[in-house]
Amino acid sequence: MIQKEVTLLNRLGLHIRPAAQLTKIAAKYKADVYLLKDGMRVNGKSIMGVMMLAAARGSTLVLEAIGDDEEQLVEDLVKLFENKFYED
Amino acid sequence: MPGAEKKEQILRGIPASPGIAIGVVHRMVYDEPNVLPRKLAPSEIPQELAQFDRAIEETRGAIERSRDRALDVAGVAVGKIFDAHLLILADEVFLDQVRGRITREQFDSEYIVFDSFAQMIEVIGRSQGEVFRERVADLRDVRTRLLRFLRGEGDIIPDHPTHQVILVAEDLSPTQALNLDRELVHGIATDIGGLTSHTAILARSMDIPTIVGIGDISSKAQDGDSIIINGNSGKVILHPTPQSMEEYEDKRERFRSFQRYLDDIKFQPAMTLDGREIRLWGNIELPREAESVLSHGGTGIGLFRSEFLFLTRETTPTEDEQFEVYDKAAEIMAPHPVVIRTFDLGGDKYHAGINIRDEKNPFLGYRAIRVSLSRRDLFKVQLRAILRASARGNVQVMFPFVSGFEELRESLAVLEEAKHELNQRKLAHDPKMKAGIMIEIPSAAIMADRLALECDFFSIGTNDLVQYTVATDRANEQVAAYYRSYNPGVLRLIEMTVKAGAKHNVDVAICGEMGGSPIAAPLLVGLGLEELSMTASMIPEIKKIIRSMTYDECKRIARKALKMDTSQEVQSYLRNELKTRFADLPIWFS
Repeated sequence: MIQKEVTLLNRLGLHIRPAAQLTKIAAKYKADVYLLKDGMRVNGKSIMGVMMLAAARGSTLVLEAIGDDEEQLVEDLVKLFENKFYED
Repeated sequence: MPGAEKKEQILRGIPASPGIAIGVVHRMVYDEPNVLPRKLAPSEIPQELAQFDRAIEETRGAIERSRDRALDVAGVAVGKIFDAHLLILADEVFLDQVRGRITREQFDSEYIVFDSFAQMIEVIGRSQGEVFRERVADLRDVRTRLLRFLRGEGDIIPDHPTHQVILVAEDLSPTQALNLDRELVHGIATDIGGLTSHTAILARSMDIPTIVGIGDISSKAQDGDSIIINGNSGKVILHPTPQSMEEYEDKRERFRSFQRYLDDIKFQPAMTLDGREIRLWGNIELPREAESVLSHGGTGIGLFRSEFLFLTRETTPTEDEQFEVYDKAAEIMAPHPVVIRTFDLGGDKYHAGINIRDEKNPFLGYRAIRVSLSRRDLFKVQLRAILRASARGNVQVMFPFVSGFEELRESLAVLEEAKHELNQRKLAHDPKMKAGIMIEIPSAAIMADRLALECDFFSIGTNDLVQYTVATDRANEQVAAYYRSYNPGVLRLIEMTVKAGAKHNVDVAICGEMGGSPIAAPLLVGLGLEELSMTASMIPEIKKIIRSMTYDECKRIARKALKMDTSQEVQSYLRNELKTRFADLPIWFS
């Protein structure tokens, strides 16, 4: 299992479109992935779950991946966060 | 009078769709459905699961139909909202949770769906961000549809008021907003939302005066209360006094007579009093928007943004697909011209099919023509599609983000290759199709007198020209104050470009936001521009301004503006010039 902290930089936060991008990437991997924030832990392959975090700009999340390709998965997601979900 | 003893209250929100509406309040309250659980016998469960899956399929179909209608009436932005609804229904983790709960808890699917969404809605509704609270409307919308299909009731039936009203609501659901009846709904006022939320976009497309983001109008107003909405300024008057009623009836009449006047002149030529004719064209994103340009009196498409072909999908569009789109726009506009800008991807527009690396300065990076020239495969497909459309209509091609001769010559060479390939395939095209460039990088404006020798037209993209001239990222709020459209340096670059075009007989147009600004119109005409391209809805207003002034007057204004030191001076000067001449323009109605 690996964990990695990320900060949400895009202006509108983790709303429906970014959530869709995130889950689409997560779905490509075999490993399970969870997002942790403020005591909540949601499945990173579910848009509804990710939206439920209602994560706004500037909030910090922890990505947690468990499985064979966990490292590439986390790396891919971190890239998405760093690129502000290609939104702004 | 029921509201007689209530005191007049003034509230403010974001003006989202212009016009003045006076009427009575009709509240659209969201009724939280009351769904009680029904226990299932274990033998009923497989059937219940099958019913759930069927309802999901039916709901998807209904949302797809709404999406297509939304694309039709309001464009890509609203279409995307319904695409997001489809994404919710494609969330297999969520759907599996629902299926699991039906099996485990042995309750009917209607209850489990209701309850699963309720949890989401509660959490998101409590969150701080406006963006998330707006999503509650989406979740409710999807849930309402799904519950209806589970009950076998079919798709949502629009809940129209029975008489003429002003709708007041916390927010309208996307489906409600899509199904508004403009005959009955004279105005809209909502608690939440912004200029780009679904309610705002749809209200604008239907010309319904609307104010969003008022905060708490839905709890303050009661059914039957009198209300005034000024969609030009964002002012809401609840329980207006007789004096306010009179004042706004007068304002509404002035606004309406101005609109009627615009209707009367919109198919007249945009000619100054002393006979200089200006071409007023439209900017579009979807081919069908060309119809709106024609109905607003536009005589061409000055900017057809082709990126939408990429932005709503994962794969890259084929030559035939693109040809169909370009051909359709050309067919609608014929014999008027359609200027197609090649893909402006990168910067802030990202696509899965094009690998754009993390960039420190995306606006100075890999975007527009730079992407096209490094992806010849995509570029040539697009050029061939545009060329094929030129055989049947008045089509021209325009290259964005050209900084100098290098990109221009390289692009023209690829265009020649594309022609050659079409010749080999024996496909018809216009070998003399006009090819021009956007002037949006200062170096191109400075070199315009030379660039004019090798291209057929210029089109000044003011948004980017301002951004690059004053070195201010227009999306960066921290430096927003430095993004000054009337910076005298920008005006000089526009003037240089126009002069270069005139000298070499190359047409010069403006297709940025400045092109549709009433304040800028006399200045641009005075600088010598003969073609302004803008959002279709602005064409009649700009036409009125041009038809009421002389070219000499405009030239005087431009000369004076060019002598000023600051953007602030230019802007207030232009505002004053306009205000003294046109007291009834919508921008003054506050």
